[in-house]
Amino acid sequence: MRFEQKLLRYLPRAWALFFVIFLFVFPDFSYAKDDELVIGLAAPLTGDQAYIGLGVFQGAWMAVEDANTRGPVFGDKRIRLEPLDDQHNPTQAVLAANKLAANPDAIGVIGHFNSSCTKAAAAIYHEARIVQISPGSTNPEISRQGFDTFFRVCATDEVQAPTAAAFVFSKLGLKKIAILDDQTTYGKGLADEFEKKFSLLGGTVAQHSGITQGEKDFTPLLTKIKSLNPELIFYGGVYPELALLIKQSKKLGLTAPWMGGDGIYDVTLIKLATPEHCEGTYATMLGVDPHSLPAAKDFVTRYEARYGEIGSFSAYAYDATNVLIEALRRAGKKDREAVLSEVKHTKDFQGILGKINFDSKGDAVGRSVGIFKIEKGRFKFLEEVKP
Amino acid sequence: MNAALQLFLQQLLNGLTIGMVYALIALGYTMVYGVIQLINFAHGEVFMVGAYLAFTVIAVSFSIWPSAPFWVILILLFVFSMAGASVLGALIEKLAYRPLRGSPKLAVLITSIGVSFFLQNAVMLIYGSKEQSLPEIIPNIQFNFAGISFSLAQAIIFVVSIGLMFFLTWFVKSTKLGKAMRASAENPEGAQLVGISVNHIVQVTFMTGSALAAIGGALFGMYYGSINFHDGYLAGLKAFTAAVFGGIGSIPGAMVGGLLLGVFEGLGAGYISSEWKDVFAFIILGVVLILRPSGIMGENLSDKV
Repeated sequence: MRFEQKLLRYLPRAWALFFVIFLFVFPDFSYAKDDELVIGLAAPLTGDQAYIGLGVFQGAWMAVEDANTRGPVFGDKRIRLEPLDDQHNPTQAVLAANKLAANPDAIGVIGHFNSSCTKAAAAIYHEARIVQISPGSTNPEISRQGFDTFFRVCATDEVQAPTAAAFVFSKLGLKKIAILDDQTTYGKGLADEFEKKFSLLGGTVAQHSGITQGEKDFTPLLTKIKSLNPELIFYGGVYPELALLIKQSKKLGLTAPWMGGDGIYDVTLIKLATPEHCEGTYATMLGVDPHSLPAAKDFVTRYEARYGEIGSFSAYAYDATNVLIEALRRAGKKDREAVLSEVKHTKDFQGILGKINFDSKGDAVGRSVGIFKIEKGRFKFLEEVKP
Repeated sequence: MNAALQLFLQQLLNGLTIGMVYALIALGYTMVYGVIQLINFAHGEVFMVGAYLAFTVIAVSFSIWPSAPFWVILILLFVFSMAGASVLGALIEKLAYRPLRGSPKLAVLITSIGVSFFLQNAVMLIYGSKEQSLPEIIPNIQFNFAGISFSLAQAIIFVVSIGLMFFLTWFVKSTKLGKAMRASAENPEGAQLVGISVNHIVQVTFMTGSALAAIGGALFGMYYGSINFHDGYLAGLKAFTAAVFGGIGSIPGAMVGGLLLGVFEGLGAGYISSEWKDVFAFIILGVVLILRPSGIMGENLSDKV
């Protein structure tokens, strides 16, 4: 076959290929408008923790929408929220961070949610000088990495876990406990801090074991724990596994109550594990229930009218996004360094969950921890512990 | 009976229960591999869809006939999840794998991973990303036998799984369709020559495997009480391990592999360490593959690998 003939034969395919490439590449140019400020929203939007990611996304979305209805942030600049899906996977988190860093319009990111992802992505944002505000990563190690671009609006497990341990030891008067964690940065971090404080107070930790996230059958481990007779079982992790742990432990006749951190504070836990099995389970949560805060009332009402039940971290995402938008407004220019410096200088920002100030590591100062107990199928607020 | 022995038997029983479910899923992997030498990574997702179909049947029958006795719902959900999953299995085969028949094996393998992602996200979009709780329809009855407790739900898992395994063995051994299946697995060209439509047989294989996985999913969902769209991943991986462990391509191998895997996991988590629960399964797989590369019951067919 002659070359021209060959070329003619392949031409349609070449065109098709060209068209496909065009489709993928072109939109990036088409919506890169000059009057846009891009804020990334990095959270697990698909994958096994999509339920949390969605709540975070919706909270941030409402903050951006509120800001845009008030008009341009400065000049003719409006904000666009760009969802970045990390799938609760640190590798994906790094990819998402790189994608955002490469976008010249990007000036900040809200996220990530999971401590493991936040920790991994923080280095990329630091290098790109993109300010990062996490709504719910509580692992203390993250802010010890020394990245000045990292901030968070929640309390850390350095506060949360000791509060929980002191509550169990002093208030409940329980001296012998067992600890389980899901071996993630968050779950293990929380459980380790808890164990440290509980042993320091003089309590006995009969057992500290890990489980695998996504696993369903914990009867072998629980059978073993039952023989140790703990007075309480602390769980570092998120609620889907805890629901199964509670259910299976009650079936085995384990009567010790369970306790967990912010990761288990979700009404779905009660639905999954049934109210009677959950009765008496304790949870610490970062701050109090937003339903009980007058300042958050407007947000909660609007959120629930629009999306249904509010996610555990939606209010945090709303506050984090507003801190960033406020800094943008003050900076008054599309410049990453300027925005970063304004976030650093946040002073007494009036969020819906309370005042926000950051310390030198970027951790929110003075965020309290609330202690809850499940009674009659609801999280009942017991007390608020201020650091 | 002393307490240590009691504990051991209890752990053994727990392991066997989950092993039954692994075996049901592993059968699908092994049958499909036997016929077209494809590791169908979307199979775990079919299992998950089966669980969601069972969930739907329970929800619908509760709203139509709230006082239905549990065995009626049980039969209904088995029938519907089997039927739904068979249709799904046939569709996957027709739309995703048949167009690639004859292309490199890697292409089909990657396609199966794509199908798996597609199904996961489709279920997430339809049912939402939160865990769904299945109401406990099986009465919570515990039998006690010499200090070992055994629930009605476990009994149902045992009876249904063993029943299905016997049925499948009979089906493959004695029916015309089963014989055609074995013929296609052994020599597709030869089977075609004697008038067997290999395409049809492949489809039947996918449907049978999917139906078994769906029953596994329904049992799994009812036993643990909560399901999620990503449940197919881990269960599928374990069942795949079980299939390789037993000898991929061998039906009795998948059954034995599934049961043994469940037992190893249960005993490993109970006696050594729960952190390493999954690792035991893979260590044992490694050891078996070193000593017997074709699995416990696999035939040594060099041309199949």
